[in-house]
Amino acid sequence: MPNTKYKFNPDSLSFDKVRLGIRALLFRFLVYFTGSILVALIYWIIFASFFDSPKEKALKREVEQMTIQYNLIHREMASIENVLDDLQKTDDNLYRTIFEAEPIPSTLREGGTGGVNRYESLEGYTNSRLVIETAKRLDAIRKKVYIQSKSFDDLISLASRKGEMLRSIPAILPISNKDLTRTASGFGRRIHPIYKIIKFHYGMDFTAPAGTDVYATGDGTIVAVNSAQRGLGKHIIIDHGFGYTSTYAHLSNFNDARVGKKVKRGDIIGYVGNTGTSVANHLHYEIKLNGINVDPVNYYFEDLSAAEYVRMIEIASKTGQSFD
Amino acid sequence: MSRRHKYILDLSDLQYKLVRLPWKIKLLRISLWFAASIIIALFYGTVFEKYFGSPKERILNQQIENMKLQYALLGREMDNSVAALNSYRLSDDRRYRPILNMDSVPDSYRKAGFGGVDRFRDLAGYNNSGILITSRTKIEEIKNMVKVQNESYKTIEEIAVEWKREIDHFPGISPVSVEFRLGDGYKFRAIHPVLGTPRMHNGQDFEVPYGTEVYSTGDGKVVESGWNSGGFGNCVVIDHGYGFQTVYGHLSNIRVPKGMNVKRGDLIGISGSSGLSSGPHLHYQVEKSGQHMNPINFFNNDMSFDEYRDMIQAFESKSKLR
Repeated sequence: MPNTKYKFNPDSLSFDKVRLGIRALLFRFLVYFTGSILVALIYWIIFASFFDSPKEKALKREVEQMTIQYNLIHREMASIENVLDDLQKTDDNLYRTIFEAEPIPSTLREGGTGGVNRYESLEGYTNSRLVIETAKRLDAIRKKVYIQSKSFDDLISLASRKGEMLRSIPAILPISNKDLTRTASGFGRRIHPIYKIIKFHYGMDFTAPAGTDVYATGDGTIVAVNSAQRGLGKHIIIDHGFGYTSTYAHLSNFNDARVGKKVKRGDIIGYVGNTGTSVANHLHYEIKLNGINVDPVNYYFEDLSAAEYVRMIEIASKTGQSFD
Repeated sequence: MSRRHKYILDLSDLQYKLVRLPWKIKLLRISLWFAASIIIALFYGTVFEKYFGSPKERILNQQIENMKLQYALLGREMDNSVAALNSYRLSDDRRYRPILNMDSVPDSYRKAGFGGVDRFRDLAGYNNSGILITSRTKIEEIKNMVKVQNESYKTIEEIAVEWKREIDHFPGISPVSVEFRLGDGYKFRAIHPVLGTPRMHNGQDFEVPYGTEVYSTGDGKVVESGWNSGGFGNCVVIDHGYGFQTVYGHLSNIRVPKGMNVKRGDLIGISGSSGLSSGPHLHYQVEKSGQHMNPINFFNNDMSFDEYRDMIQAFESKSKLR
């Protein structure tokens, strides 16, 4: 056997055949295996430090592109936010100019809740949270009480009326105003646009382009169709019975409105305009109960949800300028 | 002789000989061993990558995930901006423009500017191309919205100032306190109180005693101040612009010189009975584009005496501040 290897044994001074036991074989195998892994690791380290796998290359490119684009968008966003701040200021200014009022927070104007932190001044104390929570709850209660007291009496009297009465009482918005953005100036003390003094505003103003449809807000009979040069300008008065009359003023035109004509709720009776003492296209809407002007905000219950009603009250209660 | 040396039995001479390998064979062995090790290493690598992925890849993927998060945050910011812009747009469309009698900005103009996704063709082909293109498109949309809104607001601002100016210049109040009775109105008079002949009365008379203060009914410029030979006596004419002129006649005293700019509520004279007049009164005339208008349509009787006084005081204090 030419391939058989021998080992010199210095103890017996003879050559012994090299024979490996299973243990030694196993041990060898383990050594080889570990060695191979170590070697593979070394190869990988060397390879990886010089080359990327195609997959890695793609990923790297992706990360790079994403970073570039991110930085770009981020920069753009920063400048947009600056411009948006300016826009906000312009918007506030316009609002002040046109409505003579402190701007309503946009969250309120366009729906939604939250936004402005009214409780900022209360922050920063040990019990801030408690105080703020309490203040918030108090505010909420106050608001509820206000709304309740405003509408409770009306609700009680309304609840006892039925049928025809419910069809007759003014109960919808006189113009289409789904998102309430057309609500301008409510019932109460307002700055007069010409006199510049605070006068009582007996109705509610809705801003709308000339020609916008004006609806009868309840069934009734037209009792007046006037084209005055001053004051209410072209206006219509509807008698709804049960003590209620409603007035629609500053119209640009009438829609087949004549005294004595019966109208149904929702009928188009005229179109928004700027006639009479008025400084802009708008509808001035008044409701009288037994000859006394009442706040129209409480007479939209067919149109408004409870939440919208609250928002309407808040928008309309802001002191500002009326348009007539 | 160490234990490590290996021997081989040479059958030809039956001698144990030390195994010696020539360097060529050694080299061959080493390269073989090297080749084998690479193959094994490759095998290990493949298996490892299959089950775990390379660590580098994992790091890169992690980075991409981070970027995605950043993009999501940016997206939220962008959404906020869009919400803000939409609210401005509503204000613009629903509030300011109707009041100022302006047409709303056409949708085609608001939407103009982004022709499609093609602009970001170079962003295609990545795993996250979608995010990149959406974000860039959105940013472009926002930029366009901002631009349009900015321009729109600028126009509105100008018009709003003009609107206010026009309201202030409009002759919209009574020239004397509302406590006084109205005299003859705008009508054809069969007998003129002084001349005794039929004559058109082009203005509104106010029955005021001597010495009553007369106020400008709107902002404007005094274009005539002094004696009017046509019968108005001591007379002031104010040009309010927008085609409006007002005439205040039969004054006993004039307080504003020709050429002076006056504001609504400014004291312009004291009433009297100068000129063609049968007794103390104020003659008030409104002209629009040279046509006589009925002055009664230029003020409402919706004020109390107190309110009128408050109004004049408010205008006065405003005048002092300017």
